[in-house]
Amino acid sequence: MASDSQSGNEQVILATGGYDHTVKLWQAHTGVCQRTTQHTDSQVNSLDITPDKQLIAAAGFQHIRMYDLTSNNPNPVINYEGVSKNITGVGFQEDGKWMYTGGEDCSARIWDLRSRNLQCQRIFQVSAPVNCVCLHPNQAELIVGDQSGVIHLWDLKTDHNEQLIPEAEASIQDIAIDPEGHFMAAVNNKGHCYIWSLSGGIGEEPTKLNPKHKIEAHKRYALKCTFSPDSTLFVTTSADQTARIWKTIGFSLVQELKHDEQRWVWDAAFSADSQYVLTASSDGVARLWNVVTGKVEKEYKGHQKAITALAFRDFIVRD
Amino acid sequence: MALYDNKHWLLSHIKNSFISSDDTGICEMVMLGEDIPRSLSHATKVCCYPGADQSEGEDEMDVLSHSLDMLAEMDLGVRQRPTTVQRLEKNDPDHEKADRTRFVKWENVTGYDPSEFQRKDFRKKRKDEKINSERSLLVKQLENYPSVFRNPFLDYAKFDGDAQVGVPTRRYGIFMMMLPPAERNYPLNVVVIASARVQDLIGLICWKHTMEHGDHNLGDSVDQYGLYIAEDDGEVDWDFPCLDPREVISKFGFSYLALVERKEKVPSEDSATRERNERLMEAGGVSEPRRMKAVLKDEDMQRMKGHMTAMEAPLYQSYRVCTVSKVRSRTEIQLGISGEKIEIDPVVQQRVGAKFWNRQKAVSYDIDNIAACEIIDNKTNNRGTLRLTYYSPSLTNADQDSSLHNHASISHYKHYDFETDLSTAEEIVQKINNILDLTTPIKRQEYLDLRESKPHKKRMFRLGQKQ
Repeated sequence: MASDSQSGNEQVILATGGYDHTVKLWQAHTGVCQRTTQHTDSQVNSLDITPDKQLIAAAGFQHIRMYDLTSNNPNPVINYEGVSKNITGVGFQEDGKWMYTGGEDCSARIWDLRSRNLQCQRIFQVSAPVNCVCLHPNQAELIVGDQSGVIHLWDLKTDHNEQLIPEAEASIQDIAIDPEGHFMAAVNNKGHCYIWSLSGGIGEEPTKLNPKHKIEAHKRYALKCTFSPDSTLFVTTSADQTARIWKTIGFSLVQELKHDEQRWVWDAAFSADSQYVLTASSDGVARLWNVVTGKVEKEYKGHQKAITALAFRDFIVRD
Repeated sequence: MALYDNKHWLLSHIKNSFISSDDTGICEMVMLGEDIPRSLSHATKVCCYPGADQSEGEDEMDVLSHSLDMLAEMDLGVRQRPTTVQRLEKNDPDHEKADRTRFVKWENVTGYDPSEFQRKDFRKKRKDEKINSERSLLVKQLENYPSVFRNPFLDYAKFDGDAQVGVPTRRYGIFMMMLPPAERNYPLNVVVIASARVQDLIGLICWKHTMEHGDHNLGDSVDQYGLYIAEDDGEVDWDFPCLDPREVISKFGFSYLALVERKEKVPSEDSATRERNERLMEAGGVSEPRRMKAVLKDEDMQRMKGHMTAMEAPLYQSYRVCTVSKVRSRTEIQLGISGEKIEIDPVVQQRVGAKFWNRQKAVSYDIDNIAACEIIDNKTNNRGTLRLTYYSPSLTNADQDSSLHNHASISHYKHYDFETDLSTAEEIVQKINNILDLTTPIKRQEYLDLRESKPHKKRMFRLGQKQ
């Protein structure tokens, strides 16, 4: 089974989406756009690839649409609807059992993908539009950030929830937890980045957040934060037209990713070996950066308007 | 209708209907072997419809001919489907499209299964995954794909109008004139966003082309190409200059364009010229290289134009010219030239006083009888006289025996002289000569031979007279 899935599944997938109402799939190492899919009537707020790498989910206004990655079918395979406003974030449980979304209708949702009996269909309502959702690696706690600046820890098993407000009147823009579950980072519209160290989160024990550090990461709006697969780095992106890479040990700045033509940087992702970072920008160009040198290695040109979302899957090759 | 009470006919008809309407051919396999209608008719010896007994002793396939109605369809090989089915099939893609997308509406469900949300031990799993030498597939692919292969037209990919939503686009059929003739027959369909400039479209065409046919080496700059207006059959309209590369493409309402390679910029390689250009540029501003390009382009166009007129020569075209003869005064006629023949038609004179003897009879000459066409006089007042020489056997003693052909003399060739303005005269001469080059009529060859060997022939003729 392992060999089967390796030959069929182990390929690099890069997808971008944005304000031109399209989702584009790229050949990451050449910069060639392989496919363009219409995302009718809506910008793309967030993208994620299903764990089996068969589908890509694009969250937009009132819809989450799933497109087939393995065929050239230009139409969505599944269209999830029934949400009254923008869906701002989308992601999957690691076994593909359910999908989580956050939306401007002030709610986070768990969508049962098996659709027969809906054993895990859930909704979590808050008092402000949800900007971001993040699933803890233990697959049982959803972190929800809202526009009023509240971070909600939603324990999916017990339905219990906790709130914390790192900074008053600062909208939480994005939240991330590193794959090893050591850190959680949140960025807000003041450009500040808060780091917590995590404890617990195993068995019956809920995750505990211990405030660790605050970085004045950017002068303007911060938009996204993401940890590297090896948990040693994290990247923050901003309206100040840069992305910045930080160490998780000492929280020092490693690299500033800056380009003359780059505008707001909306999204970012690391390569599997944490050596490269991909960014999506308002200038309609996605870029591949070398973390060590800070240079642009590839540019992905084809979008007519701002790219606001990016999804990337890469693999570790065992030689 | 009377036939319908004929058992034999009905049986035969049913059998044939089964055979011919079954696309799988199984009915045919099953039924052809046993000929029920015939065996029935043998058994009862009644009601055979006319002609059935004639086929006795012939092979079974002949049975099919009993049902005349079905034969037409058998000939087609494919059974026509009822119109309703055809209509439904036409709608099918739409149905499929809608069917393919599954719509899932959010449902609020009360209660959930907590066991679905058990905490997983992520730390243990992560440790298992950790390995020493980590290199990602992306990095490996990057290493295997040196950046020297960078497509120079990558930057133009963003002008691709395909699958753009809410952006005005333009669709063009592009004929790639630099391809071998066999490959340039079909236009490359390009959709470009309407706000792109002409040079962006050129870049996009090159990008698309290199993506689809990597083996054709295009140049590495959009400056090497020009876009011309073209017909839907790929014929380039050379009368217009190429579209200005700086103009926005949506200004032009053509649906077919031709991408033409501008010839190598020889002067730019010549350092002396370049220096001169630079000096001119300093003096006359930035427009000089463009003027230089325009000159180059004109040369190319001239060359292509000559080529194209040759290709177009057999197409019918008519000219208004005047006949010139010693006896008659100048008479206006219409000269129609096509690949098959040359027609001379009188033009109805508008002047009432036009003399009737001036009227030229409507005649036409097969192109095989046309021997030559040349300009014999270009007068200073921009008028030209051209001579059309043709073979006219009727003028010789028609009833002479066939040996005449052996003595084909220059006297069998008559000519018309036409006068018109010089450029039209040149055009006519070129057109006719192009046709003659293409078809090489026998009479032309004879005429040319005769003309070359005129003195020799004359001597021969004299010898013949002596005998």
